[in-house]
Amino acid sequence: MTAARPETTAKTVLICEDDTNLRTLVRLALGEEGYRFFEAPDGPSGLALARRTQPDLIVLDLMLPGRSGLDVLRELRNARDLGETPVIVISAWSHSDEAAVQAGADRFVAKPFDPDELRDAAVALLEDDRVPE
Amino acid sequence: MFPSNRRPRSLSARLVAGSALLALLVAAAFGVLAFAVTTLDDATKRERHAKAVSAETLQLERLVLDLDTGLRGFVLTGREDLLAPWTSARAALPKSLRAFQQLASTTAEERRRATTLVSSINQYVADYAVPVVDIARTSPAATRQAVVSQEGASQLAAVRNRFADFLSTENALAAARTSAAQRRSNEAIAAAIAGLIASALLIIGIGLYLARSIARPAREVAEGAARLAGGDLTTRLEPQGVGEIEELTHAFNRMAERLEASRRELEEQNERLRESERAKSELVSIVAHELRTPLASVLGFTSVLLQREVTDEQRREYLGIIEAQARRLGALVNDFLDVQHLEAGKLSIAKELVDVGSVIRQQTELFAGQSPKHLLDVSLPPTPLPVRGDSNRLAQVVANLLSNAIKYSPDGGVVRVAGNRNDDVVRVSIQDEGVGIPAELQRDIFDKFVRGHATAEGIEGSGLGLAISRSLVEAHGGSIDFKSTKGRGSTFWFEIPTAAPN
Repeated sequence: MTAARPETTAKTVLICEDDTNLRTLVRLALGEEGYRFFEAPDGPSGLALARRTQPDLIVLDLMLPGRSGLDVLRELRNARDLGETPVIVISAWSHSDEAAVQAGADRFVAKPFDPDELRDAAVALLEDDRVPE
Repeated sequence: MFPSNRRPRSLSARLVAGSALLALLVAAAFGVLAFAVTTLDDATKRERHAKAVSAETLQLERLVLDLDTGLRGFVLTGREDLLAPWTSARAALPKSLRAFQQLASTTAEERRRATTLVSSINQYVADYAVPVVDIARTSPAATRQAVVSQEGASQLAAVRNRFADFLSTENALAAARTSAAQRRSNEAIAAAIAGLIASALLIIGIGLYLARSIARPAREVAEGAARLAGGDLTTRLEPQGVGEIEELTHAFNRMAERLEASRRELEEQNERLRESERAKSELVSIVAHELRTPLASVLGFTSVLLQREVTDEQRREYLGIIEAQARRLGALVNDFLDVQHLEAGKLSIAKELVDVGSVIRQQTELFAGQSPKHLLDVSLPPTPLPVRGDSNRLAQVVANLLSNAIKYSPDGGVVRVAGNRNDDVVRVSIQDEGVGIPAELQRDIFDKFVRGHATAEGIEGSGLGLAISRSLVEAHGGSIDFKSTKGRGSTFWFEIPTAAPN
């Protein structure tokens, strides 16, 4: 909850979502945790950004232009350096939660979502990640 | 199998022909039998006649012998009483001779032989039997000598030889005639039996023919019908039999084809229904998805406003987003309803006289102030562009194309709107200098939910605008099309039949 975390140790979150407003909303939902954000509006740029920035958490929409979110997710899981990165899938396809989990999602949040729900999910995953330290 | 010509003779014609042949055969057999009976009857008559002739001949011979006996007795003894057989035979002879000659006159040959016999008897009577008795009355001794000598015996022997001759010839002829008649009658009976056997064979043949040409095909038709009833509509019959039966198999096949075709039609219809059902549920699912995205913004920013501390500036920004997304929801609902109405054919299009030029002017005025980065260049003729239609719906099409032109040229530029007409059509074109449509999307751009690079560029829309526009233009009897180069912009145009001036 401390916003004064040093810039270098701040956790990084990649938001891969085609809707501008929803990207803003995700940022707002997680903003108080002091994370740094990267944003990508489509599948290919999301994958490229993930490889380049090695984020601590990825928030991924399923309905993406270019490549579908499930496609992106599978590729992430197959990549050696990104295979363990926690992923939260957010989607308006409420019935695609099973497919998302099967493709390697850690959490599934249906749209429309409560900002607090998304934040809790993100915090839980990043706390888990922090345990070995 | 029976030879099946293009035009097979009818079964009834064949049956009639077969029956006629059978009747002919039976009639012929009876004819031959009747001939045999007649022949036998004839032979019997001839035999009876031959017997009568023989009897008459023997009677004659007895009379001649009586003559001779009386003559001998009288001449040798001189006793008048012994002459009695001679006297009675002499009296009976002329009548008996006449009767014989009458009887033995059926053929010229018989008549000739009878005449010879009769004349030899007459000669015997005239030359010997009568003169010897006359002489014996005057000089018995002289005659006695003559009678005892060979003279009389040879005279009688000659006559008796002729009798024997006549009888044997008559008997031989009668026997020959009888055996010929017997032979002919046997032959006729054999022919009749053969005819009857042939008739029997023909009846069996007709039976077999009926079995083959009616019973078997009928059974196969019945089996085929059972298979059809069992659901195997691919059942077809080998055309067989003749005439009406073959027609039956053809008719059966036509029926099966019709049944199969109608079942196929039903299955296709069913498949189309399933397909449309699938499309409908897919549409519902897409609609839900499309509605949830703006709804996520509305609910999400509302939660942020309710739960978090925000600055005034932030509040205004979030409320702006909420309002815009709520409007977007409203517009989406309208679009979905339009699509639903268009697809159900329920959309009513008024048929008023509309000046497309004024529609363009109204819409460009509405859009003009929207974006400082875009310049709207409107080019219209001074005269009206008359079409028959619904001004609100035409305005919707123009607004859709204008909105696309502006949305898909995010860096600004000129949007050229032109309207013109010829005798046939009024044409409206809207050209932008925007992002263009990627080649791979151009084929489907008028389909629902196809949105070009809209999502990547953060351009809002339902993905229904062009689908609705096309339906509306087509409902006006017109057509819509476009030309686009990725990165260079797009030109959309539509044409609607020019209304006749009134």
